[in-house]
Amino acid sequence: MSEKLSFNLTFIVAAVAFLALVPSLGAGERAIYFLSLTLIWGLFAAAFDLSFGVTGLLSFGHAALLGVGAYVFSILTADYGVPWGIGLVAGAATSGLLGLLYGLISMRVGGLFFALVSLAAAELIHILISSTLRDITGGHDGFPAVPRPMIGSSWDFYDNTTFYYLILAIVFVSVLLLAILRSSPFGRLCQGVRLNPVRMTHIGFRIARIRSLALLVSGVFSGISGGLLASLMMFISPETLSWTTSGDVLIMTLLGGAGTLIGPILGALVFETMRDVLSDLTVHWYGLLGLAFILCTIHLPEGLMSLRPGRLLGRLFASRRASKGELETILEGESKWRE
Amino acid sequence: MSTFVIGLSLAALLFILAAGLVLVFGLLGVINLAHGAFYMLGAYVGYQIAAWTGNFWLALALAPVFVAAVAWIAERLTLSKLYDREHYLQFLLTFGLILVINELVRLVWGVGYLRVDAPVLLQGSVDFGTFQVSVYRLFVAFAGLAAAGGLYLVLEKTLIGTVVRAASANSAMVSCLGVNVRRIRSSVFAIGGGLAGFAGVIAAPMVPLSLDMGLIVIIDCFLVIIIGGMGSIRGAVLGAILIGMTRAYGQNFIPQFIDPLTFGVLVAVLLVRPSGIFGRKERMA
Repeated sequence: MSEKLSFNLTFIVAAVAFLALVPSLGAGERAIYFLSLTLIWGLFAAAFDLSFGVTGLLSFGHAALLGVGAYVFSILTADYGVPWGIGLVAGAATSGLLGLLYGLISMRVGGLFFALVSLAAAELIHILISSTLRDITGGHDGFPAVPRPMIGSSWDFYDNTTFYYLILAIVFVSVLLLAILRSSPFGRLCQGVRLNPVRMTHIGFRIARIRSLALLVSGVFSGISGGLLASLMMFISPETLSWTTSGDVLIMTLLGGAGTLIGPILGALVFETMRDVLSDLTVHWYGLLGLAFILCTIHLPEGLMSLRPGRLLGRLFASRRASKGELETILEGESKWRE
Repeated sequence: MSTFVIGLSLAALLFILAAGLVLVFGLLGVINLAHGAFYMLGAYVGYQIAAWTGNFWLALALAPVFVAAVAWIAERLTLSKLYDREHYLQFLLTFGLILVINELVRLVWGVGYLRVDAPVLLQGSVDFGTFQVSVYRLFVAFAGLAAAGGLYLVLEKTLIGTVVRAASANSAMVSCLGVNVRRIRSSVFAIGGGLAGFAGVIAAPMVPLSLDMGLIVIIDCFLVIIIGGMGSIRGAVLGAILIGMTRAYGQNFIPQFIDPLTFGVLVAVLLVRPSGIFGRKERMA
């Protein structure tokens, strides 16, 4: 799937311009908090897609990349008085290193087995943080009193609206960087590794390095979203590292459209909206989400992004509709050819 | 010595689970993430049957059949539509199945912990003089042995087993020989689910039933199949023994580092043999 940088940039700038206006349009406190959360998950999903959608590494352990960033950030800023920004960078760097470690795993186990081993690794880190290292992390009770930034004296970031602008700015820059990276030569290499790793090796690229680098970058941005998440909630719980978080980001990505930059962010929006609306209606919303996800894998594997208005219009203006019989003839020929 | 028996019983449980995964992976090329959910469902259904009838043996016989039926329906309704697409979609679909099965279990049984009593015949422990061994642990170890033997006999000595093995090697060719591969796939997926359910009932008297019981075991089980070599039943036996013993002896000596330890076993094996102990390179997805 080819991506146009100009399309992505236009979308990002338009979306950010709109989002920057939202508070002055009279949005309530709850809406602002919801948007902040969605932005953070959106960045996480976009970071995840760099490894899954672009490089083809299906990681089931991204929860650890988010969580480790969040914990490193929280511990440094709350316990050691490290400035907010430096804490965020340190968290991101640690997550990046963990991503590099995942890269080492990907050198030994490929394909779906990488998903299994990264799941096991993330669960291991989950256990370490929730019990083995409980003296530093606060164990199962979580880590309270995570600070928000102090920049100047005129801005009060404990006000959710002010903090929203900061989150918007950081997510904007991060997603911009991701957009540029995806269309850069390195992004193309990652695409190549996903589409045909054997051929890439034969051309002379070291695919292990490309994969590791992609996971590193993915880890860095996951770590940033982890730090932002902890700071927004002013609390981080080891639940953040559980496998359901890895599952959530997968659902967001697939729902929106893996392999596109905007899809996963859109998926995060849909996911958070569903969480917000459905969890008010029923405690069993997660099961409904699972059902929606199953239907999505069967009927909409390329996510919402494959429903681009252009395609819908194309369908509308197509000169005629192919009949079922015609299509089946094609399918028969196809299956004969395969066998 | 009692630690050894605990290790054996863990290994037996892991083997029964891993065998189901390996069978399904061999034929369908799908890693069934929902295997742990089937295991949990088996435990809960077993609990219900035992609660209704007061008979553990009936639960052991019927719950796997129920889970197999659920697996069969799930395969027909969802998975069978994805066989000619990319493998990762099937994998993700089984992840969706977990969410749905978890929610159904929560709907029926709630979130509290439940427990199942071992049948009277298997309660208590045997005294070997210098050490004591729980009868139930011995029973589980033998159940694992029986499952391994039974699977070996069915796969190697019967026509059905041969069909399954042949279809794993080349399903299109077997289909050309007039075998209904579609039905074999559904059946094998159901049998895999049934094995998980069986493991669930067997595990029920040893662990409290909870919604996350599936996940805890299934991760070990993934380690087992990767250590053993993907798609190899022999490897699953060896992997299960390795992980089971690591868990049992680790619990004895360094309980706080037991999870890093099991993961360490995996890393060590992968460093020496990247495709697992009995793995073949081309099997890697």
